[in-house]
Amino acid sequence: MSSETGKRRIHSAAWRISLRATFAFACGTLILFVYLQHFIASNIQRRSDAWLSGEIETLGHVAEETPRNAFYERVVGEVAELATREVPHRFKPTGNANDSVFFAQIGSDGALKLWVGVGSGTADLSAIKAIRIVSDRPTDLRLPGFAIPFRVASLRLKDGNHVYLGLSERDDLRLLSNLRLRFFILWLLLVMLGFGMVFFSTRRMLGHVRKITEAASRIGHSDLTARVPIIRRNDEVSHLALTLNNMLDRIERSMHQLHTITDALAHDLRSPLTAIRGKLESSLSTADGDQAEPIVSAIEELDRLTEFLNKSLDVAEAKADALRLTRSEVDLDELLRAMIDLYEPSMSEKGLKVRMRSAGAVKVFADAALLHRMAANLLDNELKHLPSTCTIDIELLSGEDAASLILEDDGPGFDSEVLPHLFERRVKGRKSNGHGLGLAFVDAVARAHGGTVAASNRESGGARIAITLPLAPKVPAGALAATAPGSNSFH
Amino acid sequence: MRLLLVEDEIDIQSFLRRSLEETGYEVEVAGDGKTAERLAIDTPFDILIVDLGLPDQDGISLILRLRQLGLSAPVLILSARRSVDDRVRGLEQGGDDYLTKPFALAELLARLRNLLKRNSPATKEPTRLHVQDLELDLLRREAMRGGRVLQLTQQEFVLLEYLCRNAGRVVTRSMILDEVWGMRIQPDTNVVDVHIYRLRGKVDGAGQQPLIRTMRGVGYVLRDR
Repeated sequence: MSSETGKRRIHSAAWRISLRATFAFACGTLILFVYLQHFIASNIQRRSDAWLSGEIETLGHVAEETPRNAFYERVVGEVAELATREVPHRFKPTGNANDSVFFAQIGSDGALKLWVGVGSGTADLSAIKAIRIVSDRPTDLRLPGFAIPFRVASLRLKDGNHVYLGLSERDDLRLLSNLRLRFFILWLLLVMLGFGMVFFSTRRMLGHVRKITEAASRIGHSDLTARVPIIRRNDEVSHLALTLNNMLDRIERSMHQLHTITDALAHDLRSPLTAIRGKLESSLSTADGDQAEPIVSAIEELDRLTEFLNKSLDVAEAKADALRLTRSEVDLDELLRAMIDLYEPSMSEKGLKVRMRSAGAVKVFADAALLHRMAANLLDNELKHLPSTCTIDIELLSGEDAASLILEDDGPGFDSEVLPHLFERRVKGRKSNGHGLGLAFVDAVARAHGGTVAASNRESGGARIAITLPLAPKVPAGALAATAPGSNSFH
Repeated sequence: MRLLLVEDEIDIQSFLRRSLEETGYEVEVAGDGKTAERLAIDTPFDILIVDLGLPDQDGISLILRLRQLGLSAPVLILSARRSVDDRVRGLEQGGDDYLTKPFALAELLARLRNLLKRNSPATKEPTRLHVQDLELDLLRREAMRGGRVLQLTQQEFVLLEYLCRNAGRVVTRSMILDEVWGMRIQPDTNVVDVHIYRLRGKVDGAGQQPLIRTMRGVGYVLRDR
């Protein structure tokens, strides 16, 4: 389950990085394309303007030089007609033979003298006359009935007449919109390609990181010998793996050192303890009456000392996250019921009641012996500290990925000054006669299994200890079926 | 029964030897792996006790080599280590047993007995156990004392059955916890004593001879005479 959420996280990281990179790339290329388009558009206009300026001069010249006889209109009209045929970068005319160009000559009195173009030109007269500026530079003009503006150049003749040559911007605009469409498609392709490249390379890179993370998280208490896979490349990711492995080497060495020390300590203390116990037992078999009593209490003290030694070393190792576990599948429900069965007579002897609530089997993958000792510690604690007529409620719940074990009583609760330090070694209540290791040990076991312990006082009075332990990984149905006959044969 | 004790601590060696001989074992002692190997090859043994921390080699390596040399006798491994080695677990599955130091002598003897029984040809399991006037019907899960049926809980029956199977021999609290409840724990409180106390109340009726005796500092024994 954790690897799946990890996958999702990495996935979204790749996604996020790619989106950001693509956004920056898209902005950059968009600016470039807009600039290019603008550059091309202004170039086209300059060329049109140059053509218009040239033509209007020629036409003005013709209009001036041509004698004002009956053929004047015809001659100038023909020349203008000819000029409009050589419109630069034009497309095939649609419908009307030539609706992209017009020529107009307006007299000094404001009457239309000559019109070459679509229609009679009278409708357009006022619009054309509105062009006050008569300069070398052509200007934009909107004619009624045309959606697309014309570029109009004008010239004042010596006789006070004005000639106008208009060129529709339709072809230019069509060219530009064509260009824009192509640029847009090209830009889209580039952005998509960029996104794909960034996404896949990021995902590949993060995939390596994920592999390292997964391997590192697998290397837990039990398996310190495993190492993170090294990718044979000389980049940051493989450096990360190398660094992790070096760190694991150091951890393994110090763990090993700790184990050596605790093992040596255990061995050095246990051997004499064994000899002493043996001697005491031997002398007990020959002792009689009064002599036996001190020997008996010495043996009992010795056993307590041994258990204290075991617990201290376990707690010491667990504090360093170095407790060695022998894991197997354990049913907490079964374990607790056996434990309650064991403790119930002692409890009722003391006037205590024990109740257990559980919804059935709760499987954890844990060290059974340690869990037994942990549960025994909890119940020993209750048995020792609760006044009679109290009730102990034990509840076992199975959450999504952790089991929780909640132990509540209606006794006096924890001393308020002890409560914050409850799981530290040698911390015990004022009236306690234990050695203050019990709850530290409970904490140690829970932590070693990747669980937690929390202690508090209930509002209604009494103590509450909540322990969580990770659930055993779910066995696939096929594997379960394969093991079932084997396990049946044992029972 | 010939027994080979491989243990380097002189104190432990001597008290174990004495106790084992008192119990009726014929004991040979080896202080290191080399001697143990030589002795084991020369003469056959019925059972071995091997300490894991030997001066010249690891106890496990010794056992594995002896097995290669054809040793078939069961081994009781003594360990002063904290964790149980995977190899010890392997041996345990192979029919051997282990005991952590310090141990109660009664437990050592019980484990030796179990090992010998496991390795001898299977005798037919009795369906009834008799100890003096106590009678246990293992099939019907029923206990009777002097013709009176005892009202026992299931757990109490298992406890009494265990005591009966070991009648006349001392069983320790940790042996009871291990065998009856399947736990290797060392409670701070007298939980086992209370169970025994309750059982005793049911087994020993008025005017009857007390059957379950407390051996202080050691454990309990069900009298067989």
